[in-house]
Amino acid sequence: MEMRLGYKDGTAKSGTGDRVRLWPVYLCFIILGATVPFAKPEVKATTMLLSMLAAALIAALAINLLVMLFNASNRPLQEEDSQFARDAVGTGMLFMIPFTVLAVLAQFVLGWNGIMPFASAAIMTAAATAGTEVVKKGAQGMKNVMIPTLVALVLSTAWMLLVGILP
Amino acid sequence: METAATVAVPTWKTALNMIINPGEVVKTRMGKVPWPYSLAVSGLSFTLFFMQTGLDLLRAGQIETSAVVLMTMLGLLYGTAGVAMVAVMVWALAQAGEREITISWAISSFALGYSATFVYALTGLLFSLALGWKTAVAFGVTGVLWALRPTLFTIRQMAGDRLAFSIALTTLCGAMLLAGWSLLGKFGA
Repeated sequence: MEMRLGYKDGTAKSGTGDRVRLWPVYLCFIILGATVPFAKPEVKATTMLLSMLAAALIAALAINLLVMLFNASNRPLQEEDSQFARDAVGTGMLFMIPFTVLAVLAQFVLGWNGIMPFASAAIMTAAATAGTEVVKKGAQGMKNVMIPTLVALVLSTAWMLLVGILP
Repeated sequence: METAATVAVPTWKTALNMIINPGEVVKTRMGKVPWPYSLAVSGLSFTLFFMQTGLDLLRAGQIETSAVVLMTMLGLLYGTAGVAMVAVMVWALAQAGEREITISWAISSFALGYSATFVYALTGLLFSLALGWKTAVAFGVTGVLWALRPTLFTIRQMAGDRLAFSIALTTLCGAMLLAGWSLLGKFGA
C-alpha cells in the first residue's frame, strides 16, 4: 500500500523529473459528467456526450484557472519552481476521487438521483485542498484560500447551470 | 511558534476551524481537544441527520412517530460508536501507532471532522421544522460530504502523508458511512 502520488514522507517534490499527473482529475470530472444523465427519467446518448463534454470543459477551466491564478499571485515561488502551481493543483484536486466514487455508489448502488451535490462538493473541496497544497509549498496569505474558493464557486455554479440546460 | 502554541483557543473555535482549515487543526490543535467533546459533535451531527431522515419518511406517510424516535437514537449510536469504530479501523489500517498517534487522538480528530455535518444538519432541521421541507439528502448527505476533507487530512496525518493511501481510505470511510446511513434508514423504517 506504499503508493506515491505527489508526496513522499510529507516532503513536496522538487525538480522536473517526477511531476503530478492531471489525468485522474479529468477522469473524475468526466465520470461525474457521464453519471449525470442517469438522474433523468430517460438516458440519451446525446445527453451523456454533452454532459461529459461540459464536465471536461469545467475540468480544463478549473485546472488552468487555478494554475494561472496561483502562479500570478505567488511570483517568488514560481521563479523558484515554475511547476509548483500545477503540482499543487494536481495533488489537491486528486481529492475529486472520493467524491466521484461516492457519487457513482449513490447513483448506481444506493439509487439516489442527485449527482450534482457530490460534484459541487467535490469541486469546492478539491479546489480548497489545492490552495492548502500551495500553502504547504511555502505560499503565504489568505489569497491562496480565497482564490480556489471563488473559482470553485463560480465553476460549480456554471456546471450546475450547464447540467440544467442539457437536452 | 511558542507564542502561537501558548494561546488558548476555545474548543468550539477549533471545531469551526476544522471546517475551514482542517490541515492546520489536525497538525497542531487536535491534541488539545478531548475525545468526548469530538464524539459529542459527531454524535449530535448524526442524531440530527437521522432525525431529518425520519421526519422525511414521516411526512411521506411511510413511518410512525415512534420510528422517528428510533431512527434518531440510531443516529446517536451511529455518530458515536459507529464513528469511533471507523476511526479505530483507520488507525489500525494506517499503522498510526508507529507514528506515536494514539487511538484517542484518532477518534477525536475523526469525530471533530463532522463539525461541517453538524452545521448542515442543524440548518436542515430548522428548514425541516419551519418550512416542512424534505432535508435529509439535501442537507444531511451534503453535510457528510463536507466532512470528507477533514477526514482526508486526519487520515493523511495518521498514514504519514501517503496521499493515494489516504484517498483510498477516505473513499472507503465515506462509502461506509453513506451506505450505513442508507441501510439503517431502511431498518428504522
